[in-house]
Amino acid sequence: MWKEKYKIGVELIDGQHRELFRRVSDFVKTVQSEDKWDEKLSKVKETLEFMKAYVITHFDDEEAYQKEIGYPEYERHRQIHQRFKDEVQKYAEKFQEESYSEETVQEFGGKLMAWLINHVAGEDQKIGDFQNRGGSV
Amino acid sequence: MKAQYINSFYKAVLDVFRLMLDINPEREELTVVDDMIAGNEANVMIGITGDLAGSVLFGFTKDMTLEMVKIMSGMEMKKLDSFVSSALGEVVNIISGNAVTNLSKEGYTCDISPPQVIIGENRSISMATEKALTLPIKTEIGKFEINISVRENQ
Repeated sequence: MWKEKYKIGVELIDGQHRELFRRVSDFVKTVQSEDKWDEKLSKVKETLEFMKAYVITHFDDEEAYQKEIGYPEYERHRQIHQRFKDEVQKYAEKFQEESYSEETVQEFGGKLMAWLINHVAGEDQKIGDFQNRGGSV
Repeated sequence: MKAQYINSFYKAVLDVFRLMLDINPEREELTVVDDMIAGNEANVMIGITGDLAGSVLFGFTKDMTLEMVKIMSGMEMKKLDSFVSSALGEVVNIISGNAVTNLSKEGYTCDISPPQVIIGENRSISMATEKALTLPIKTEIGKFEINISVRENQ
């Protein structure tokens, strides 16, 4: 799932993005596998728990980096992260209510993958571009 | 209905397809249709509110949808399940969000409703709207269409 063109040229962030893509990819592989839902549920739950914590760590680190370099779109980017965290939270609640129904977990997986690709390939590249221009707008 | 509405969507398709799928789409001839029917295997509907009001319907074939999700995930996809339809819905959501940004540059302030994915070509839904514009778009992984029916709010 990860492509080299997604790199923004900042080691810490690229490393975290790679890890995110790896985890989302594993997650998709698990939910799409032919195994019975009950059998893969523990793996699904484990990945979801990891993602919930890791997304927050990554967003915090990325936002701290933006602040450090004086990234002008910091606030807008922070809001995009916040909306995504809210969305993940909503799904987490739905999973509890529905005892992790396959349908909802699949739906979450599809959305998560497309969101991540668009965000890292688009929005996050602007951070790298800003830094490469020597931090000027 | 003005062509610039559909151009905002077409430009968004170009940007998002290049960014997310490494695909360069090409537009074909615009046609006027009497109403919008969700007649494809995978249809995604988006509502528009604000300075423009109406709906936009994206229609994809099953093969193209599976191929799009394969490009994103790097995995072979076999059926139009919740994962695939949700990924497709999110791509259309991203396209529509970009289209709304493009429309704002033309002076129209609009908002979009969450995408509604309708799977199955027999589930034809007539939108019972005014006339719609259909823009067929050709890509190396298949053809799809965007139907748009909006009016300007006074």
